[in-house]
Amino acid sequence: MQDAIFCQNLAKYFRHYHKEPGITGSIKSFFVRNYESKAAIRDFDLQIAQGEIIGLLGPNGAGKTTLMKMFTGIIVPSAGEIQILGHLPHQRENAFRRKIALVMGQKSQLWWDIPAMDSFLLLQKYYEIPDADFKKRLGTLCELMEVEKLLKVHVRKLSLGERMKMELMASLLHQPEVVFLDEPTIGLDLVAQKNIRDFVLAWQREFRTTVILTSHYMADVDALCQRIVLVLDGCKRFDGAIREFESMLGKQKFVSVDFETPIDNRENLWAELDPNWNNDGTHVELRIPEEALRQTAMAILRDYPVSALSMEKLPIERVMNELLTNPHLLAAPR
Amino acid sequence: MNATLSHLIAEYQKWTATIKIAWSKQLAYKLNFILLVIGPVLVFFFIRYNLWSAIYKIEGITTLQGYNFEQMLAYQVWVMIVGFLGLGYNGMNLAEDIRLGRISAYLIYPFGFWQFHACGFLAFESIQFLVSALTLGAVAAMHWVQLSPLPLIQGLVFCFCVALFWFQINFMIGILAFWLEETWVLRVMMVTLTQFFSGALIPLELFPDWLRQILNFLPFPYLTWVPVKVFMGQYTGDLTQAFGLILLWAGLAFACSSLLWQRGLKAYTAAGM
Repeated sequence: MQDAIFCQNLAKYFRHYHKEPGITGSIKSFFVRNYESKAAIRDFDLQIAQGEIIGLLGPNGAGKTTLMKMFTGIIVPSAGEIQILGHLPHQRENAFRRKIALVMGQKSQLWWDIPAMDSFLLLQKYYEIPDADFKKRLGTLCELMEVEKLLKVHVRKLSLGERMKMELMASLLHQPEVVFLDEPTIGLDLVAQKNIRDFVLAWQREFRTTVILTSHYMADVDALCQRIVLVLDGCKRFDGAIREFESMLGKQKFVSVDFETPIDNRENLWAELDPNWNNDGTHVELRIPEEALRQTAMAILRDYPVSALSMEKLPIERVMNELLTNPHLLAAPR
Repeated sequence: MNATLSHLIAEYQKWTATIKIAWSKQLAYKLNFILLVIGPVLVFFFIRYNLWSAIYKIEGITTLQGYNFEQMLAYQVWVMIVGFLGLGYNGMNLAEDIRLGRISAYLIYPFGFWQFHACGFLAFESIQFLVSALTLGAVAAMHWVQLSPLPLIQGLVFCFCVALFWFQINFMIGILAFWLEETWVLRVMMVTLTQFFSGALIPLELFPDWLRQILNFLPFPYLTWVPVKVFMGQYTGDLTQAFGLILLWAGLAFACSSLLWQRGLKAYTAAGM
C-alpha cells in the first residue's frame, strides 16, 4: 500500500533579521539589516503508513508546525523530498486538497460572521460532496459531537469548545484520507478535551483515517497515538511506538504518596527519586526504578505517616519533561 | 465531454455558493452596511454639492470650461454612481488575510484565494448595483440627471470593466502583504491619485492640456471621466477603443498580480498558523 506520508532529507530554512529594541534600533534596521538563515527543519526522514495515528511532539519552536505546513502544501520546502498520498503537496492540486484536512486549534478556518451550517454548505460545494452523502455525514458528526442546536448560531458567538467541534466537523465532512490536527485541544477545559479525543478516536476507528497530531497535552497523545515522533531543534530525535517511548528512561514506576503530616523533604531518600512536592510537604510524586520499587515503597510505608499510596506506569508527560531537559538521553541527531 | 460539463457545473456551484456567503457576510453587520451605502451619498450632499454651489456663486462665474452649475451637478452625480459601481471595492481584508496567516485555509480548500475574493467582489458589485439604481432613481426624480437607455447601458458595462480593473489592482496591492507589513498606505496613495487624476474631483476639461496628454497613456481617465461622459452621452472619443483600453489595463493588472501571487506563495511563511 502507498505511504500516507513519505519524506526524505526534508529541510526548511527561514530568513529573518535582528532588530535592536527602541527607536534607534528601528532606524538602524531601516538602513542595515543583517539577515540570517535558520533551519526550522533539517534532514528530516519520515514514513507513515495509511491508517496510523502519529503524535508529532516537541517543545515550542521545534519545527512541528513547519512540518505540518509542508505536509499540507501551505509552504514550500527548501530541500528534500516529500510525498503525501503520492502527491507533491506544494503543487496544491485539487485532487490532493480533497484528500487532506488541517485543523488548527489556534486559528479558526470557519467563517466568523456566519453560522457553522452555512460554512458546511459552502464546504460541501468546494469538496463536491453529493447531497445524500453530505446529509448522512453531517448527521453522524452531529450525533457524535452533540451539536445539532448550534449549527445555526454564528461562529463568533460559540464558546471555544463548541467552535473546536465545528472546526473538526468542517474538516471531516469530505472524509479526508489524512487529517492534520495542530493542537486541537488547546485552551479547552478537561471535559471538552476528552470529548474531542473520544470523537477523533471513534472517527479514526470507523474510517481508518491517517491522523497526524501535535499537542502539548500528553493526555491527547496517550489516548490517541500508537506512535510518537519527537522533534527537537528541527531534527527527528525519536520515532517509535509510544510504549517504547515510555520506557526510554528505563523501567520505572510513577508513585504518588500522601502523608498525614508535613514531611521534611530534605532527607536523602527523596533526592534520588526525582521528587515533586506540594507546597506544605504532605504530597509527593516519585519516579522509582522497577527493581527498587518493593524495597523503597516498604521503607516509605514503614518510616513515614503515609495516608495513601498509588503506583502507575510513568506518565508520558514525565518522560517528555525529562527528555526535554536532558536531550543527551536521546539518540544523537544525524 | 460529460466530465467537462460536470466539472463546469461543480465550478459554477462553488462560485454561486461563495457569492451567497459573501452576501450574508456583507449583511451580517447592519450598521456597517447602512454606512457603506449612505456614506458616499452624505459626502456628496455635504461636500460636493455645497462646494460647487459656493464656487458658482462667486460673482462672474457662470460656466467653467463649458460646465454650468446644473451640468457640474450632473457630472458630480455620475461621479458618485461610477464611484459606487466601479471604484467601490476595497480589498482591505485581503492584506489582513495574508499578514495574519489566514490564507492558509484557502491553500487547503479546493477553491482558490483569488476565486474566493473574486466572489466577494461579485457579491459586492451586485449590492452596489442596487444602491446605484436606488440613488439614480432618486436623483433622476429631482431632475438632476437625464437618463436615456443607450448611454445608461454603455455606462453600466463600462463601469463593470472599471470595477474589474479596480478589483485586480486592489488584489495586487493586497498581496504585496507577502513582503510588506502594511499595505494600506499604498491603497490610500492609489485612491488619492485616482480621485484626482481620474476626474472624480474636478472634470478633466479643467486640467491643462499637457497633463491630459500624459494621462491618456495611463488608466486614470478611464476610471471616472470616461464612464461619466459615457453616462452623460457626451463621450466624443472612440468608445470601442476606450473599452479595449480599460480591459487591457485590467488584463495587465491580472497578469501582474498572478505573477506576484506565484512569487508570494514561495515567500509565504504562514505566520502564526
